[in-house]
Amino acid sequence: MAVKEFKSEMTGLERALAALTYKKPDRVPVASLVCGASRRVLGVTYDKWSQDAELIGDSLLQTHQIMNNEFDIFVMLVDLSVEAGSFGQKVIYPIESTAYADPNEPMIKTVDDYRKIPRINPRETGRMKVVIEATARVAKAKAKEYGVCGFVYCPLGVIGAMRGHERMFIDCIKNRDAIIEACEIMTPVLEEYAVAQVEAGAQAIVLDTLYASATIMSPKMWEAIEAPYAKRIADAVKKAGGAVVLHNCGGGIYFDVQQQYTDPIAISHAYPAADCKTWEEHAAKWGKKIVSIGALEPAKVGMFWTEEQVMEEARKFIETFKDCDGGFILSTGCEFPPNGSLINAMAIIKAAKAYGTY
Amino acid sequence: MANTEREKELFESLKQGVIDYDEDTVREAAQAVIDEGIDAYTAVFEGLVEGMNEVGRLYEEQEYFVPEILMCADALYAGLEILKPHIEQKDMGIKGTVVMGVVQGDVHDIGKNIVKMMFDVAGFEVHDLGRDVPLEKFVEEQLKTDSDLLCLSAMMTTTMVGMPEVIKKVKEKNPKCKIMIGGAPVSEDLAGKWGADGFAKDANNALKEALNMVKALKDLS
Repeated sequence: MAVKEFKSEMTGLERALAALTYKKPDRVPVASLVCGASRRVLGVTYDKWSQDAELIGDSLLQTHQIMNNEFDIFVMLVDLSVEAGSFGQKVIYPIESTAYADPNEPMIKTVDDYRKIPRINPRETGRMKVVIEATARVAKAKAKEYGVCGFVYCPLGVIGAMRGHERMFIDCIKNRDAIIEACEIMTPVLEEYAVAQVEAGAQAIVLDTLYASATIMSPKMWEAIEAPYAKRIADAVKKAGGAVVLHNCGGGIYFDVQQQYTDPIAISHAYPAADCKTWEEHAAKWGKKIVSIGALEPAKVGMFWTEEQVMEEARKFIETFKDCDGGFILSTGCEFPPNGSLINAMAIIKAAKAYGTY
Repeated sequence: MANTEREKELFESLKQGVIDYDEDTVREAAQAVIDEGIDAYTAVFEGLVEGMNEVGRLYEEQEYFVPEILMCADALYAGLEILKPHIEQKDMGIKGTVVMGVVQGDVHDIGKNIVKMMFDVAGFEVHDLGRDVPLEKFVEEQLKTDSDLLCLSAMMTTTMVGMPEVIKKVKEKNPKCKIMIGGAPVSEDLAGKWGADGFAKDANNALKEALNMVKALKDLS
């Protein structure tokens, strides 16, 4: 394929909005999932980075700068223990790796503990407050010209971090009422958290619905437990004026059920939908209904491929989605490896410029 | 002494109890096996293992998912707990020994636990080191047990990078040990690049790979 000389005619925000509304942009937009990796640009340790709004905001802004301000969408993902930690779960902060809920000290120790989750104010509590502030910082600097997406982990993910995922999965069968009660307590807090990020300047909120995938649970179980709560959070985002995007890096994602409940404009994903065997089939079936954000393999992009290989794989994705009326955003299928090569992160943008014109 | 019909009935209860993740039924049937003098080894393989084989099929066909598998595992272990003490070690027909665990810094152990269960029911002697296992511990345990297999799991790119270090050290000290890796960020390519002998895409695949590796080892010896 001949590499075209790209001349920008749109801002990042215009480009993203065009793709999300199926109007062909000047090139395929790029959503950056360089989140934890951005701390290396600022030169701070992971533990400090993930607890400080100023460091999170500034590292994302500086990462944008070293990438010539050329990625189009910021995603405010810090890690998947932000919400659980704010509810009171003990979190471990490694110096050089992603923070995580301490599995040896789960906050939900017994089935009764599901009912004791505190109703916190996310605007004032823990790292939810930190993320809201970091979002405000990035939005203030960039939201006029670029997309800024907030990020919320849906209730089952948060509960899993507070109970231990294995125990929680068993409770999904044995003690479903208790799980649902926990979702009832948690959902208004997560709604408020999402709305606060919209108010801070995020134009869209990414809802992580990891368990709505064949890797984890049946669509029937997801519908019976998390779906109504994911819908409530999605509705709150829309009511606040934000757009709903989903993230799900599981295998065999239930696009159909998730569309029914949350009606997202886009899904950030790593594998084709459950009802498609290949990316080609996915693009033909879903490409004009829900915009795909993805789906380069993070580990390979960040750690093993050469810059040329990254560009080639990106080109293949662009090619696969080329007939979707502009409805495609290039990214990794999940967070860019925190220890990955930033040169390769930049190669994604390079590929969008080289191969992504319509 | 129970008759053949009674044996069949109890084995069927063990099997169906595992499939229906009904721990109580499995416990009752396992206890009856012991009380009625039925061979515990046969009960494990014609009852519990048959049940898990069916569970594996249901998982492959996406009728069962992770929550159901975990429930079935609980039922399986409830039965094994009662039956195993009544089986002489020599009768177990050990297929091989395996050391396994989730590498340092990583606490995602559901996948590893499911793989462990598959090894348990297939007749492997399993040395499960758990999660967040210091890299050196894998090497020590492998050398101590002289296991046929070493299985390493990681779910994060920041932790999977410990795997090549373990693989290198174990291969240096015990080149005949077969090493398999698994977890979301790893791939067949990586397994090859790091000098592992196999890559487990999922639990069923892990077991199949392991059986092939152990067979290859036995063929060599």
